Amino acid sequence: MNLTISWFYPDLMSTYGDRGNIIVLKKRCEWRGIEVKIQEITLESPLSQLGESDLLFMGGAQDRQQKLVSDDFLHKKAPVMKKMIEKNIPALLVCAAYQFAGHYYQPYQGEKIPGAGIFDLYTKHLGDQTKRQIGNVTAELINSKFRIKNSKFGKIIVGFENHGGRTYLGKNIKPLAKVIKGFGNNGEDDYEGAIYKNAIGSYFHGPLLPKNPHLADLLIQKALEVKYQREIKLVTLNDELEFQAQKAAVNKV
Amino acid sequence: MKTSLSILISKTVYIVTQLFQLGAGGTWPGEIALTLNPNILQDLVKHIKKGIIVVVGTNGKTTTSLMIVKILEQHGYSVVHNSSGANLLNGVVSACIQNANWFGKLTADWGVFEVDENSLPIVISQLSSRLSETHGGIYHKPKSGVKDSSTAPPAGGFARNDKALILVLLNLFRDQLDRYGEVDVIAEKWGKALQEIRNQKSEISDSEILYVLNADDPLIAHLGIKIKNVIPTEVEESNTAAHRRGNEVDPSTALGMTETITYFGIEDKKQFLKTHEHATDSTFCLNCGHHLDYSGIYFSHLGIWKCNHCGAKRPKPQVTRVKIRLPGLYNEYNALAALSVAKSLDLDDKITQIALQNFQPAFGRQEEFTVGLKKIKLFLSKNPTGFNASLRTVLELKPKVLLLMLNDRIPDGRDVSWIWDVDFETIPNNITVIVSGDRVHDMALRIKYSQKTQNTELNDQLQIEPNPAQALETGLKNIRTGETLYVLPTYSAMLEVRKILGGKKIL
Repeated sequence: MNLTISWFYPDLMSTYGDRGNIIVLKKRCEWRGIEVKIQEITLESPLSQLGESDLLFMGGAQDRQQKLVSDDFLHKKAPVMKKMIEKNIPALLVCAAYQFAGHYYQPYQGEKIPGAGIFDLYTKHLGDQTKRQIGNVTAELINSKFRIKNSKFGKIIVGFENHGGRTYLGKNIKPLAKVIKGFGNNGEDDYEGAIYKNAIGSYFHGPLLPKNPHLADLLIQKALEVKYQREIKLVTLNDELEFQAQKAAVNKV
Repeated sequence: MKTSLSILISKTVYIVTQLFQLGAGGTWPGEIALTLNPNILQDLVKHIKKGIIVVVGTNGKTTTSLMIVKILEQHGYSVVHNSSGANLLNGVVSACIQNANWFGKLTADWGVFEVDENSLPIVISQLSSRLSETHGGIYHKPKSGVKDSSTAPPAGGFARNDKALILVLLNLFRDQLDRYGEVDVIAEKWGKALQEIRNQKSEISDSEILYVLNADDPLIAHLGIKIKNVIPTEVEESNTAAHRRGNEVDPSTALGMTETITYFGIEDKKQFLKTHEHATDSTFCLNCGHHLDYSGIYFSHLGIWKCNHCGAKRPKPQVTRVKIRLPGLYNEYNALAALSVAKSLDLDDKITQIALQNFQPAFGRQEEFTVGLKKIKLFLSKNPTGFNASLRTVLELKPKVLLLMLNDRIPDGRDVSWIWDVDFETIPNNITVIVSGDRVHDMALRIKYSQKTQNTELNDQLQIEPNPAQALETGLKNIRTGETLYVLPTYSAMLEVRKILGGKKIL
């Protein structure tokens, strides 16, 4: 078996260890004998390249970098990404990418910045006096579709969040998890992240997947199932270190 | 409160902290002095005779400023310096207070201060507003009638003074996003701060600003390019000269000060990286937003850059060669910056060379400890670029064992995600990696995913030891007599290791 993972804008949309998600997806495939190709999608990449992907990833960004990406993403790559996500291709969109996938971002001054409209959500900045939501965070997965069987990690996910915007979900998208400690999407409704079809949006850095390998495996499994059109059971890996790291992070919060 | 009284009180605090070994002597006196008088730095530095040198950048501040201190001292100058590494406003003030006499008078030829990225604007605005005032009694502040010492000086009454403000801008890398924010935002803040002091200075005096800038870092060089665009140097200099002679000058170009930019950079193709590092921030043109084209990268985003779209390009550096004994390309940059300062001050090259040749590293930066017949060498590694640079240097020294220590305290940054931006994949299989620190499990996981091994039982290459003292002991056990244990700690972990080794807890 093999998978092609498309990594959107690794040179622009990758702050603070987001690359860890790609490293973990790749290693966990390789350890199971699944061949992986990481395909870097940059401003210059043609759209045809995207069609070959089985799993999509896009990370966080600084403001200037996000502006540089904006035109290419919104007008060229996002419509393709949207079609793929509609066709159940799994995706992971973290932080800025998560906001970007929504309808719009409302800065505290000035006009709304349009989003890709892939996820039914919007993000708002509540003003320059409001604090960024920063810190270690733990949450519990609540989406039944993403229930993870036979995993000692259960429903817990951990991460580090650092965002100024507050994200609010619409009717056509479900939250990924309920915050146990931390802020999550907006610090008001206790939800963290979002799930639409097989695509996950999340504010979690940390990065997300190393200490939450059950989510990584889920994305891999879904990607294989969509690609090979049959039920896939992944080989169980030795996750002792991952488990210890998650436990330590939970105790930290 | 009156400055002299504030200093008296703060100095007492300093003596007390020293006497009782309370620690934090690096910031407390300054903090108290600032509470008593927020503008105290202006008064403290006015007696510094020659000028002030400010060193700022994500990596290399401590080493570079120490190099500059050593060079100046070699030339026989006396120097005030925040050597403890306390580099916020309170740290700079503390250093001044420690060196001032009981009457608050600071008598030194030079002030050399390393300054935190976020503190640069406040520190230089404080420094420049008083540097431009005369010293030596030509202009005396009126005893009454002026309440606020920071108000603009009265017209007339100034003699020209020749104190210099030297700004050394080293680099900007991603570092503790949770604390510092984004590098672009910092670069922008610096740009604004530079503009402000230049406006301020042009109004009141014609003292000198010298910029020492890294040509290889587009974020830094861009600041220099912007300065140059505002002031056509030649016209400006001739006008200043005219102004000094008392002649009329064209007011549109008369800024009444001298500004000189010295660029440093490396020109050595052999040092180019073969593959670029992921922890890279500025490979896009700050002028037009297009991809920068690099004919070679030394590390992170430092290299020979140009923009094919708008034509912006790396300024030609004047200082490109320096001899030092410390390994590591980053130390070459530090030394080039220090040498540039010496050159821009027209100091004797031979004496400067002696200082650089004899340079001993600052604490935690390639600092060496001897334990019996074995050695421990510390390489402070506090952000992705710093870690990559340390790794590259250490691996060239053919280590047997590496000890990586990851803490997540305030000085380290609470978010440890950044370790995934470090290229640990470069560590060869035959090197034993010991991990330790507050976030030992995060580091263990990072190493696990960097190895070429299968996911089976834990391999021998990775050893997990949460306790730092035990980790050091394990490390020493794993090397032979005469060999060196290389320790790569984050900031607070570095302090911890020094404490353990200094306190001889494990010796």
